[in-house]
Amino acid sequence: MRFVLRRLGFFVVTLWAAVTLNFLIPRLMPGNAAIAMMARYKGHVNPQALHAIQIAFGVNNHQSLVSAYFAYLGNIARGHFGISLTFFPDTVAHQVLQALPWTLALVGVTTVMAFVLGTLIGLVSGWRRGSVVDGALPPLFVITSAFPYFWLALLSIWLFSIKLGWFPESGGYEVTTTVGWNWTFITDAVNHSILPALTIIVTAIGGWILTMRNNMITVLTEDYVRMARAKGLKPWRIMWTYAGRNAILPNLVGFAMSLGFVVGGAILVEFVFNYPGVGWMFLQSVENQDYALMQALFLMITVTVLLAILAADVATAILDPRTRERG
Amino acid sequence: MKRLLVLLLAVGLTAAACGGNKSGGSAGSSAVTISNEQGTTWTCGFNPFNASVSFLSFGTEYEELTYVDGLKSGKTTPWLASSYAWGNGNKTLTFTIRKGVKWSDGKPFSAADVVYTFQLLKKYPALDLNANWSVLKSVTQNGDKVTFQFKTPAVPYFYYIADQTPIVAKHIWSSIKNPTTYKDDHPTGTGPYTMSSCSPQVIKYKKNPSYWQSGKPAIDTVYYPAFTSNDPANQQLASGKAQWGSQFIPNINKFYASKSPDNHYWFPPVVNVAVYINQKDPVLSNLAVRKAMAYGIDRSKVSQVGEYGYEPASNQTGIVTPTFSDWLDHGLAKQVGYNPAKAEQILQQAGFKKSNGIYQTPDGKPLSFTMINIGGYSDWVASAQIVAENLKAIGIKVTAENLSSQTYDNDVYNGLYQLAYDGNQTAGPTPYYELRSLLYSKGSAPIGKTAGSDWERYSNPATDKLIEDYAATADKAQQHSIVTKLEQAMVDEIPVIPVTEGVDWYQYNTGSLSGWVTQGDPFARPAAYVNPDWGVMLLHLKPKA
Repeated sequence: MRFVLRRLGFFVVTLWAAVTLNFLIPRLMPGNAAIAMMARYKGHVNPQALHAIQIAFGVNNHQSLVSAYFAYLGNIARGHFGISLTFFPDTVAHQVLQALPWTLALVGVTTVMAFVLGTLIGLVSGWRRGSVVDGALPPLFVITSAFPYFWLALLSIWLFSIKLGWFPESGGYEVTTTVGWNWTFITDAVNHSILPALTIIVTAIGGWILTMRNNMITVLTEDYVRMARAKGLKPWRIMWTYAGRNAILPNLVGFAMSLGFVVGGAILVEFVFNYPGVGWMFLQSVENQDYALMQALFLMITVTVLLAILAADVATAILDPRTRERG
Repeated sequence: MKRLLVLLLAVGLTAAACGGNKSGGSAGSSAVTISNEQGTTWTCGFNPFNASVSFLSFGTEYEELTYVDGLKSGKTTPWLASSYAWGNGNKTLTFTIRKGVKWSDGKPFSAADVVYTFQLLKKYPALDLNANWSVLKSVTQNGDKVTFQFKTPAVPYFYYIADQTPIVAKHIWSSIKNPTTYKDDHPTGTGPYTMSSCSPQVIKYKKNPSYWQSGKPAIDTVYYPAFTSNDPANQQLASGKAQWGSQFIPNINKFYASKSPDNHYWFPPVVNVAVYINQKDPVLSNLAVRKAMAYGIDRSKVSQVGEYGYEPASNQTGIVTPTFSDWLDHGLAKQVGYNPAKAEQILQQAGFKKSNGIYQTPDGKPLSFTMINIGGYSDWVASAQIVAENLKAIGIKVTAENLSSQTYDNDVYNGLYQLAYDGNQTAGPTPYYELRSLLYSKGSAPIGKTAGSDWERYSNPATDKLIEDYAATADKAQQHSIVTKLEQAMVDEIPVIPVTEGVDWYQYNTGSLSGWVTQGDPFARPAAYVNPDWGVMLLHLKPKA
């Protein structure tokens, strides 16, 4: 109990620091949202529009940094994230909620799949060192993980979409499809997600395989594994409950963190595949100096990462009594 | 494991097969899909006074009083106003408003809507994107006539008032509390299309069956997908999924034109991309330095190597050709050409001495400058590099500095640079508009303050006077003679160095549709991001029999 309380206290302090940095860092950037908007529409909008946009955005309403900070804290506490200037005049909350499901479905599912598959492959190849599985899969996926993501993604678009025509090359769904919970739309959306999903899994899986396999090898030399063998337990039982359970511990925190980062989207994936998720929105908010949207996204990522770490700490404490404090 | 993979693959393949059938489109209804990367998903807002979304509704839902063709030196076509007339020494402009036009909700459109629109812009300066009320005194209605009174003669403002201001419905907008933050997600307009559905990924427009131009539009549906990056947008054009493109496509002949005999493109030049020279810089304020640079830049090399030949080379007068060729003084255009020997001669005559290959001012300062540029525009990066090499060859050291677009714009607007590779000025229906945004010192601001135009901080009372004189005359011959004098100022004083001519990006597919803008018939600016021109284009398109 005391352990959990201490972890909670740590969580609150980290959260405050993150929220404050989140407020300060964007304000160190040069320029303002009105100029950023003019940059985005270079040549398509009359230069005179700068004046009108500054009024609309309230760019010249000089508010002191301190009062802006407290207004910001108050708004966050009440869940008010304000109006996005990139998607003016839409609210930040509406925009984020619109993009989040796409990211959760794509990046969330692939993160879990990469972890599960990677851990399983690592477990088996660590257990049966020198086997065919161990000789083929880990080196293969370590190589694919080392590819720069955008290169792999562009290559797979070229091969599977343009040359072979198996999958659509971009977007979350076909433009002529009507969005809704119907079979046509769902199959269309799934179809559009396969290629980005495969590229994510292929590039993410190698790390999990490697760490899991190495952890397995270390754990297998432990005395309690030898003891289990000596007791004559079935090999699969030793692999799962003796070796596997202990080998996975160091990976749990990593997995929790990567789950937390899911809500940040995958900027490269969404950019290359023109996918309507949060990662791309994040990039936009930075490019357009959209403080409100930037802060909301930063906050969302920080909070979920912190929560995920908290959950991983608790899970580790349950799985591994050694990490619990005495007393 | 294996079974799961097989299953996934099977699902993917069947879905891919289904997807393949769809692109043909259903029989009996015609559609056009636009491919125009805007780097953003749609907000599904259509407020025509919101600069970030106005291009999605102005031309299709909302319409202008008179259409002005920017590729035909401002040739006018009556639109919501059936006629117009200038009076009172070009200080009064009167429109006669068309009868029989209806809003898409069935209510009649009238002169009262026009007056209301302009009152709205007066009340909310945030909506007045073209700063109409900086020159307007009053807007009044008399039956079906609307009269605009100006503070001073304002002939060039016809373009902004008649062509660039979308007219909105009084009965809708008068009940809106805050028009600045109004989203307008179901716009009611007079135009040929109505918004039928919208998601962040695609907007679908449907034909307005009671449109006032009878029998039009001929195309039932317009799809406007959102593209956040260039490659997918280009791919849609190459594969024929999109018929109308407004894209920069590298190696366009191989990537696009060779894919189908129906694929065509045309890039009409509209506005210069130029090297801005900060006139307040102590060394650059010396005319000899600016002149030497103007002679030292090989514009056709920049055009061929930096811009793939898509953007033609400019000339020092600032007149974009061939679009505005009849405004060009050919003698002036030839005066300052690529001539490195002459460039060095000018520097030597002005007392500059060469040391280590770089000229130095008489008091010993080397001619060494930084030129800011937008790092995200790969063609500009290449072009700026060639400009720097050219200038190095004549003994002027220029370091190209590639910045993010917001840092770059901040520096240009506030005058915090020495040289800038830029195309900030907007195109207009005649060359006057670009020259004014480059030369009119009253649009400028001191260093450190945000300037809306004249970013190089050029200031000459005689030039300002010419620009104001143009505003007072509707006479074509007089306008031409004033523009010639402005060309003279560009050549004599070199406030900026036009390098290449920025174009409207335009690709079109003639497989299922006809009626496209062509070089032989430029009835509208053909890029989908130009308003209200894209509405004019959509009205000309027809399905092929």
